[in-house]
Amino acid sequence: MEVVHGLIARLWHSSEARWLVLYVILRLSACSMAVALELWAGLTSHKVVMLLYGPLSTIVLAASPKLRQSRAAWAFDYLVTLGLIVESGDWRSPYYMLWLAALALPAAYLPLRSAIWLGLGAPVSFLLVAILGRPSPGSLGVFSTETLAIHLWLPILLVGAIAYVRETLRRLGDERSERERLAIEAERRRIAWELHDSAKQRLHAAHLLVSSLSGRVEEPLAKTVARAAVELESAASDMDASLAELRSPLEGARLHDALRKRAEELSPDGHPHISVVGDAPHLPPLIAAHVYRIGSEAITNALRHADASKIDVRIAQEDGALWLQISDDGRGFPDERRPGANGLFAMESRAATLGAQLELESGAGGTTIELRVPLDQNGVST
Amino acid sequence: MIRVVVIDDHPALRAGLHTVLDAEPGIVFAGESDGSEESVWPLLKRTQPDLALLDYHLPHGDGLQLCYRIKQAIPAPKVIVFSAYAGPALTLPATLARADGLLDKGVPARDLFEAIRLVNRGERLIDAPSRTVLEEAQGRLDAEDLPLLAMLLDGTPEREIANVLRREPKDVQHAVQRILGRLRLDVPARRG
Repeated sequence: MEVVHGLIARLWHSSEARWLVLYVILRLSACSMAVALELWAGLTSHKVVMLLYGPLSTIVLAASPKLRQSRAAWAFDYLVTLGLIVESGDWRSPYYMLWLAALALPAAYLPLRSAIWLGLGAPVSFLLVAILGRPSPGSLGVFSTETLAIHLWLPILLVGAIAYVRETLRRLGDERSERERLAIEAERRRIAWELHDSAKQRLHAAHLLVSSLSGRVEEPLAKTVARAAVELESAASDMDASLAELRSPLEGARLHDALRKRAEELSPDGHPHISVVGDAPHLPPLIAAHVYRIGSEAITNALRHADASKIDVRIAQEDGALWLQISDDGRGFPDERRPGANGLFAMESRAATLGAQLELESGAGGTTIELRVPLDQNGVST
Repeated sequence: MIRVVVIDDHPALRAGLHTVLDAEPGIVFAGESDGSEESVWPLLKRTQPDLALLDYHLPHGDGLQLCYRIKQAIPAPKVIVFSAYAGPALTLPATLARADGLLDKGVPARDLFEAIRLVNRGERLIDAPSRTVLEEAQGRLDAEDLPLLAMLLDGTPEREIANVLRREPKDVQHAVQRILGRLRLDVPARRG
């Protein structure tokens, strides 16, 4: 019992699974009604073959999420169930409910406008079947004609209801993500303000205090003081970079556009020349943000330390990976790591977060930084 | 002895400047203010400083508007705008506000002392606004303000500008304050 309860709880947890369970119940109940009606009328081997379509198609659809979203599968299901109605010889058919069930998937997944056309088109196709098949609607008494009216009206109701609910859910979801986006943005602005308002001012104060000691203390302490001043200065400029990014983050912009914009900000007069070539695929926000910050850190490093005249940024997608290369024609990295070289460390740890490879090649002809981010592991369809 | 007051909303920076300025021979820390109306004017009146170090981003208002008003005083102290954002974009509004110097908060103490001495001697430590900055500013201002802007940048005294434009000197001052408001650099909003 525990296991069953656990399984049900897990199924119920995901809205997609919940919807699938309801859909399977809908189809199976339609099948069982068809079976009951055929049993009532007396089974033949011909009818058994026809009855088998319902459960078999339900199993296939339940097993394959791809088929559930495929227009070809919807059309096939729709035509086969309509065919079963024709084959049963009367439009008041035991297979009518199965045909109704075939409308549920397209009603749920089609955009609202197409779903409305489906809701109007379905009764027309059923009316055609009723006119061509037997008994012809003109020859019926008023009660049977009313039955036909119900048969024609039910698909409109079903498709309309499902499409309306789906549309409402879609809108609610959009609104919620918009609200979340705004909340995150407000929080980010608050953090940016606090960093600027307090931490950065304290850094400036500390830098002033320390730098005022230079020239007033003797060796070897003078060296320590100078080093401390440099560190404080770097900390302030690091904070500037973080603040700039907190204030103008990616926010839905594509990676290449964001990097292009950053390049323009960093080199407004075009010296050194920064070119950004290539397009990035649509990326989840977290990956895009990390890759963006690695890219902008690399550009900043080249500007700050390499004394480069030209910086090239290339973005490409190949073999299920995103590839980012930043190369400059500057003087290359020093052999020994500067004690304050936090930039490179930050890039490496970001790359590790993404499961990406970061390679650095540096020589007299400049520096090349290459980043390969595997996309399929990170949940991007390639 | 150069008597310096510090106008900055952040206590840590004021305290830091106090210590640093007092330790430098030839410069005296004369007083401090958080930039609010109630404290700035009494401070200036009481201390009659030679020079004011003025923060650009003040919570109670715009540092440059304050700078402009301080410079109206007779005799006016020298003013160095001391900003965490002393980029090229600030050169134009700082010039209009008649600041005598523009200095980034990230400079080492030696450069700060040097700047205080130079400005006190009567030098101006603001770069001329670059072409890009001027073009960007044109986009933010009304066409009728542009002649005024040009004359202010030329260093034409306000009395003369008022004559040329056939306006009251007071109107010219209002126009300058309006232009300063338009050119205000965006800072992260305080809340939300």
